[in-house]
Amino acid sequence: MNLTDLTYLLPELILLLAATAVFLLDLLWLKRPGAEGKRALLPYVALVGLGLAALGLIPSLGGVRQVATMLAADPFAVFFKALAIIGVAVVILTAIPYLRGRTPYRGEFYALLLAVTLAVCLAVGATNLVLIYLGMEFLSITSYVLVGFLRHDCKSGEAALKYFLYGATASAVMLYGMSLLYGATGTTDLGGIAAAFASAPQGAGAGLAWLGTPAIILLLAGFGFKASLVPFHQWAPDTYEGAPTPVTAFLSTVSKATGFAVLIRVFMVVLAAMQYQWTALLIAVSIVTMTLGNLTALRQTNIKRLLAYSSIAQAGYILIGVAAVWMSGATFTGLNGVLIYLFAYLFTNVGAFAVVTAVESATGATEVKDYAGLVTRSPWLAGLLFVFLISLAGIPPTGGFMGKFFVFGAAVQQRLWVLVAIAAVNSVIAAFYYLNVVRYMFFTPAEEGAEPIGVAWPLRGALLVTAVLTLLLGLAPGPLITWATHSVQLLALR
Amino acid sequence: MHETSVAVPAIFNLVPILPFLPLAAFVLIVLWANRDKKLSAGLAIGGVGLSWVLGWAVAFTTFGIEGFGEPVRMFRDWLPTGRTWQAFGFAVDPLAAAMLIMVPFVCFLIFVYSVGYMGVGKPESDHDERGAPAEPGHVDRLASRFFAYIALFATGMIGLILADNLIMLLIFWEIMGLCSYLLIGFWFARKYDDPKQITPKEAGLKAFLTTRIGDTVMLAGIFLLYAQTQSLSFADIFKPETLERLATTTVNLPLIGATPWATLIGILIFCGAIGKSAQFPLHVWLPDAMEGPTPVSALIHAATMVSAGVYLAIRTFPLMQAVPHGPAMQFMAFIGAFTALFAATIAVAQNDIKRVLAYSTISQLGYMFAALGIGAYVAATFHLLTHAFFKALLFLGSGSVIHGMEHGHHAGMGQQVLGIRYSDTGDQYPIPNTHAFDPQDMRNMGGLFRRMPRTAWTFIIGGLALSGFPIVTAGFWSKDEILSDAFNGHTVVFITLALAALLTAFYTARQIVMTFFGAPRTAAAEHASEHDSIFAWMTVPLMALAVFAVAGGWVGIPREFPVLGALSTNPFHHYIEGLAEALEIHVEELPFNSVPLLTSLVVALGGLTLGWLVYRKFGVGAGLAPAHEGDREGSPLQIPDPLARPLGGLYTVLRNKYYFDEIYHAVFIRPVQRLATWLYRVDDLWVIDPLVDGVGKLWRGISEVGQWLDTHIVDGAVNGLAAVIGWCGGFVRVIQTGKAQNYLLVGLVTVSVLLGAFLLLPK
Repeated sequence: MNLTDLTYLLPELILLLAATAVFLLDLLWLKRPGAEGKRALLPYVALVGLGLAALGLIPSLGGVRQVATMLAADPFAVFFKALAIIGVAVVILTAIPYLRGRTPYRGEFYALLLAVTLAVCLAVGATNLVLIYLGMEFLSITSYVLVGFLRHDCKSGEAALKYFLYGATASAVMLYGMSLLYGATGTTDLGGIAAAFASAPQGAGAGLAWLGTPAIILLLAGFGFKASLVPFHQWAPDTYEGAPTPVTAFLSTVSKATGFAVLIRVFMVVLAAMQYQWTALLIAVSIVTMTLGNLTALRQTNIKRLLAYSSIAQAGYILIGVAAVWMSGATFTGLNGVLIYLFAYLFTNVGAFAVVTAVESATGATEVKDYAGLVTRSPWLAGLLFVFLISLAGIPPTGGFMGKFFVFGAAVQQRLWVLVAIAAVNSVIAAFYYLNVVRYMFFTPAEEGAEPIGVAWPLRGALLVTAVLTLLLGLAPGPLITWATHSVQLLALR
Repeated sequence: MHETSVAVPAIFNLVPILPFLPLAAFVLIVLWANRDKKLSAGLAIGGVGLSWVLGWAVAFTTFGIEGFGEPVRMFRDWLPTGRTWQAFGFAVDPLAAAMLIMVPFVCFLIFVYSVGYMGVGKPESDHDERGAPAEPGHVDRLASRFFAYIALFATGMIGLILADNLIMLLIFWEIMGLCSYLLIGFWFARKYDDPKQITPKEAGLKAFLTTRIGDTVMLAGIFLLYAQTQSLSFADIFKPETLERLATTTVNLPLIGATPWATLIGILIFCGAIGKSAQFPLHVWLPDAMEGPTPVSALIHAATMVSAGVYLAIRTFPLMQAVPHGPAMQFMAFIGAFTALFAATIAVAQNDIKRVLAYSTISQLGYMFAALGIGAYVAATFHLLTHAFFKALLFLGSGSVIHGMEHGHHAGMGQQVLGIRYSDTGDQYPIPNTHAFDPQDMRNMGGLFRRMPRTAWTFIIGGLALSGFPIVTAGFWSKDEILSDAFNGHTVVFITLALAALLTAFYTARQIVMTFFGAPRTAAAEHASEHDSIFAWMTVPLMALAVFAVAGGWVGIPREFPVLGALSTNPFHHYIEGLAEALEIHVEELPFNSVPLLTSLVVALGGLTLGWLVYRKFGVGAGLAPAHEGDREGSPLQIPDPLARPLGGLYTVLRNKYYFDEIYHAVFIRPVQRLATWLYRVDDLWVIDPLVDGVGKLWRGISEVGQWLDTHIVDGAVNGLAAVIGWCGGFVRVIQTGKAQNYLLVGLVTVSVLLGAFLLLPK
């Protein structure tokens, strides 16, 4: 480790400093009388911290570098760090009006969000099983706190407890898998494990392969928990429903993306020799995930639960890209589809939750039927939610379409016809419940005396950013496609 | 990326924003300004006005560049398609620049005219319905929406002429398709007493569906082109080697045999132009498009929609003539010439002032296609431009006439009302008697010259330009050029077009005489006037267009023309030649020949004189009829047309437009409706529903079997097994219990099962 390494660690360092600063400022201003105005500045301090962290990514651009033995500053990591920073920034904007009046301890919330961003940055850059585990634990534990942040809300507490119980067990199982890998190869470094697998004798009953497959299954439990893949998804609806809505937005996008990032790095780098096994497993998981997610979403009446199941189903689609990975393809490498999908999905889903936040902040309502006649109460919100929903359904000209296009394209290229057919049928089912919400918004009259819904300024900012990007990614996807393809090709395949 | 030998002027950097200025107006009106009609109108006019100023700046800059031919392209990669990228971009070449002179300017004038036509600034009438024409003296309730739509329409056309590739062109093409639908059906709530008369809503649908037929065929052509060349960029497609390859490689078509790709693709793409430019046999939508507000008719007929079809044909001309004088061009010449004559014959027997103009547009577009088909590239472009000016003038003039008639009708009727209507709040207001009177029927007019002099003068100038009145009008020069090109070896086309020109002059004279001369035939015509404040907005654009309808032709006077030729440098020909050279299109400046010149003199003057002589006496002595009489005795609608007797049955056929609407209805629409009904029966009564029922019954049977198993086997087995089956039965309900321990159980069981499967399954 030398000093130049520090420049590659700039985002992490900045995030750490910013999180500390927000904690301290909150503490300083908390007891002072009349400092309420200053405390309202805390989210903006956090946003500045995120902005600086984004600038801190600049030295890491272009090129694959090993940093401090356990971290990589490669385009793949940079992509996910950027995704996390942007995602959390939008989440903070939605949280500002949401937290007002719900809890007095708002400063900590933003500090925790910065900390969770730091955790994501560490996890996606880690090239050592130990650091991967630590990063994911850091992410999980901070997330538990965030989910249970509304202490006086029973649902929030229940959600946090379930999430914690599930997370703890999942991480234990994952750790078991990691220990198998370590036992088999004697190293925790991803490159080292890969080298050991590559040089080991192949064939039936060979020792390494014999340990490898159980390791895949066990690791999948840990990664699948983060990415909410069936059957490790069951915490998701309860947690999503109970958590503060901005946290739900975070869990369903950035946290999920982290699960995918780690999964891709470990499976692609370490277990490349065993691709046949994990591909088969992922195809099965993908099919089950999207089908179950969509079928259950059909019957939901609560918008947050509906979006929770929809987010499970979306994870199934994203997994297609990993299952159909084909690194020599020019246009569809599978993985670039995953990256495009995750990026588009980030804005779409955070945007959808931002609309939910706006409605919830104004009226407290979270049932789908409460959205009846939204178009007359707030044409903007209805219009924006419409955009987000068609993006979720994968209808052009939205980013969601581009994501599906690239993921399905990879599956077609790999001739996974059954998977493509099932995914297509699922898309149709999904369109049904997304458009059902649209039907309520536009074609069902509002209740008598329903008032117009006002939207706070920070939330307007979040809605603007997400809506514009959702549409822009569909209309001018060129830069994202180039970026994603570039980010995947340089993923350290040592 | 451009390969012009000259330095590119900086003003060209503004080209990509030209289409987006009206689009910005559209967005602003839709999102923010729609409550304020004046602001909306101002935004639309401002947006297209800026486009006009910038467009002229760009165009005049190109005129200064000697030998300008290669397009200046501005584009970015946009969508990856396989190994290539589709570009998002615009290009300027002489053709686009020449169109830039016409399109935004004419759009601008039409927008200004619309302010008066829509009554912006007048109070809103309380008993106007949304989506129906406003009463005279009131503003249309949806005027803001109207301005938003026409701004979008302008976006479509400006984007189309600047498009750098076929994808861009298609996008703007479809924007226009959408706008034509929205605008033709703008008065969607309008209903007529006569159920057979087409309503604006139906007319919009008809236009959309009819043009769609052409669009679909065109899309097939574009797909084939892409499959053959791997590119849709004009710069790539029109490379000589690409065209050479398309012209030499052939495809085996059933029945026809080996056909060069260029021919097949050219014809398919031309079908899109047939739909958009309302050529036979897809011409049926254009006359009915008259149901839209008159500025829309002017937009569709002059500056946008139908010009787009011709523009497409001119744009893709290198492809059409890749096989010189091949089937693609012959097809185009045939369709064009046939349509020119066919539509002109129908126009002779129409009585609606706008419908006459509509058929004349179809006929004139046929002229342009015929010109293209015989290879007269420059002449077709020239006629497209001059026609736009005088046709816009004629349509706006007819709108002014209609408004004047409505005012006159109102004034002439006095307080006469049909009855009293009560609103929800109990207020009562009179129902004006507007239904029985058709202000567009020329038989109701007459003698408007004295009452609406500004409209009359400008309309007559436009009419003379349309009929090709010699030497002074623009129409003469462009038509003469087409005729002299046709005379050079295309005798059939020449004769057809000359006949069409004769008919054109004839029906134009008929229209002018019936509308403006003679004595007023109704009270409405008697009281018509153009002194309301709105006419200031409406007549100024007319005068501006009238100037262009005359002077616009002077840029294209052939150098060999007697006397005048010496004064002319024929700048237009010279200018477009640059492009033609760049595209390797052969353009010849023909030696002067007096036969086509004499022909055009004879047909123009002869047609006008004939029309004057036949219709001079129309309705004279019939006296003034009360306007609300409708078809009753003594109405001017009872006056027989002077042609009705000599032409006999043919006149009836012409009047009914050769019964094309009826034929299409019987051949296409009815069978489709029957098929739909039949399929509905298949679906609901015969096949699908019984199938679904059958499946339901089957499942019931299976579940009965399951029940039998349940009671006879499960109950007999141990309780544990029963519990397991029950658990499976309510799987989904059971697993999402809300209990974290159950969730964990599912996850861990899955992991264990997978591990167990790994251990037990053979390797």
